[in-house]
Amino acid sequence: MNTRKILAGAALAVAGTLALGGCAGGGGGQNADGSTTLTLWHNSTTGDGKKYWEDTAAAFEEANPGVTVEIQAVQNEEMDGKLQTALNSGDAPDLFMARGGGKLADIVEAGQAMDLTDKISADAKTALGTSLDAFAVDGKNYGMPVAVLPSGIFTSQDLLTAAGVTEAPATISDLEEANEKIRATGVAPIAVGAKDAWPAAHWYYNFALRACSKDVLDTAAESRSFDDPCWLEAGENLQSFLQTQPFNEGFLTTAAQQGAGSSAGLLANHQAAMELMGAWNPGVIASLTPDEQPLADLGWFPFPEVPGGDGEPGAIMGGVDGYSCWVNAPAQCTDFLNFLVNKENQERYADAFQTIPASSEATEAVTTPALQSALQAYTDAPYVSVWLDTLYGQNVGNALNVAVVDLFAGKGTPQGIVDAVNAAASR
Amino acid sequence: MTTQLAASATDAGARRPAGEGATRAPSAGRPPARRRRENWRIRGELAILLGPALVVFVSFVILPVALAAYYGFYKWSGFGTPTDFVGIRNYVTILTDPAFHEALGHNAFIVIGSLVLQGPLALGLALLLNRKMRAQSLIRVLIFVPYVISEVVVGLGWGLMLQSGGALNGALEKIGLGALRADWISDPALAIWTLLIIITWKYIGFAVILFLAGLQGIPEELSEAAAIDGASYWQIQRHIVLPLMGPTIRIWAFLSIIGSLQLFDLVWIIWGQYVASTAGTSTMATYMVANGRNAGSFGYGSAVAVVMFLISLAVALVYQRFVLRRDTDGALTGGSK
Repeated sequence: MNTRKILAGAALAVAGTLALGGCAGGGGGQNADGSTTLTLWHNSTTGDGKKYWEDTAAAFEEANPGVTVEIQAVQNEEMDGKLQTALNSGDAPDLFMARGGGKLADIVEAGQAMDLTDKISADAKTALGTSLDAFAVDGKNYGMPVAVLPSGIFTSQDLLTAAGVTEAPATISDLEEANEKIRATGVAPIAVGAKDAWPAAHWYYNFALRACSKDVLDTAAESRSFDDPCWLEAGENLQSFLQTQPFNEGFLTTAAQQGAGSSAGLLANHQAAMELMGAWNPGVIASLTPDEQPLADLGWFPFPEVPGGDGEPGAIMGGVDGYSCWVNAPAQCTDFLNFLVNKENQERYADAFQTIPASSEATEAVTTPALQSALQAYTDAPYVSVWLDTLYGQNVGNALNVAVVDLFAGKGTPQGIVDAVNAAASR
Repeated sequence: MTTQLAASATDAGARRPAGEGATRAPSAGRPPARRRRENWRIRGELAILLGPALVVFVSFVILPVALAAYYGFYKWSGFGTPTDFVGIRNYVTILTDPAFHEALGHNAFIVIGSLVLQGPLALGLALLLNRKMRAQSLIRVLIFVPYVISEVVVGLGWGLMLQSGGALNGALEKIGLGALRADWISDPALAIWTLLIIITWKYIGFAVILFLAGLQGIPEELSEAAAIDGASYWQIQRHIVLPLMGPTIRIWAFLSIIGSLQLFDLVWIIWGQYVASTAGTSTMATYMVANGRNAGSFGYGSAVAVVMFLISLAVALVYQRFVLRRDTDGALTGGSK
């Protein structure tokens, strides 16, 4: 009697699991009536950026009858984890945001990204130039860049002037001097959103960019371990900079981009004079000013030089934001990517996001002084390194970021950063 | 939490002495045909009534646990089928990782802290609220409200108030206690205490409601009889009410311990995805998500989940064996007589 009952139960359980499994799937792709649905995940949950995607999708739908673009805005801090879960479940978005580096390489290795090498139009290739390299894995291309995002220090010129800082700090000791002057005026010298970890980690990335040669950065991208002594040197330089207490009070629980209390919000509301951030920052700041208009006195200067390192002067840390197609996405996916980088859409992108477009045809749309300086520095840079957490993949990148936050909090050591990276590889 | 409760309940069933199962079976001789039809009817009923629950339990509890155990032996980034078999290396890494030891320590602190803070406080409040008094219902509601509010709302609210530039520090400044200003949530020396106080605020309502229910179950006559015999109010509470509250307190403590071991949401909301370990408030669950899902190491994360499951299961079983036995014996094995 018992055996039979167990068998019956097991059969029911199996049937139930199958039924539940049947619920999954769906998403984009070819529909029964011959029309096509493209699902798109981007990270602009508010304002002009969100509207940009709605407008662009509508324009694409109009130009391509029978194609529907379904947009989903995913909060930036949720994007990586959510995307990975979706790709793993076999029900991924057709188009998703990508930033190149190790994170994209992991997705490519898993066979989840579409090879775009022959699908990017010749016009797009010319206009995008080297920014396409960010999405190259083993000589093939897996993503379409939409914006180039050099890292640098955004400033409130009014606050700097009030503190008597007239020249952009060229070296790290200049920056420390400027901090002293700014602190004397009663505002925080530099805002950092360490709660999100990566904004704090960007400080380490830039110190590493100054301390390590390009070769070392590239080698580590392959080995994903920090063997060269320059990694430790970068941590020590950061530590001695931290000892001057340059950051806003309570930075450990300050988010990067959400609300007036975030680091971008502090700059937007003249509570802090500087913030190290990528070139998407003007758009974020604009959404956080009291009148939700771009910050009038926003300035920019490149990360100061740090004497004694192997990095070439003028080298820039930065990212490229782009979009990739899922391996099983319908053919219209690549049409959408090509559509995305035409001159008009790139200019609209630069305008909506207050950032630097990837297409060289559209750089005239960059009008604010801060971004013009950033674009200039980016163009002049001897080389550009991708964000280290992106470059070294999600696993190592995550460990690296957390270890840097520990150092910020006075809980970790420069050696701890190196150890954390090397330990992460074993997970 | 469901997993542990269910698993330990199954175990409690299995611990039943063999003889007792026999006495519960129909004791009469082999049944005639009528009886056999009856038997089929019972089986049908069992299948219909148990089936859906069984399906849900197997597909959402047993299967995930088994899968986690399987993934735990692989280095797996979450894409496709795991292929990189690493044996017990994930487990060795977990058990030797200082960050995990810290998380475990924080869990232990919260388990004990919750019991020590919430227990006496909730008992006192329940005794107070059990007396006839003005505004009784209002106070009951007020104490219960935090428990009903979503963890996200609680986390965001407290997080904003306790920031270094937040409302609490502002208020301290205004009333001339500026010297007491502190980094309530980012100072590693303070953060875990802040967490404990928020947890107490949030969950004490649950304890109070449980205790109140327990108090209602104690017959009035006992207290009346004791009062007639000359016992004072405190004597009655100490010698009659408290002992009779035993089962309720023990069950509450059990729920509190398991909840503390699996604490995740409040920490995640207040400290975010990254800084919990830095601020000294990481728990096993936040460690799991940070080093599993966020790091894209799903094999490792699964192994952490298994370790968490085993720790919770062990605690649950030990507690059932040594503390809850008196209470559950009656409920689980004597029910069918």
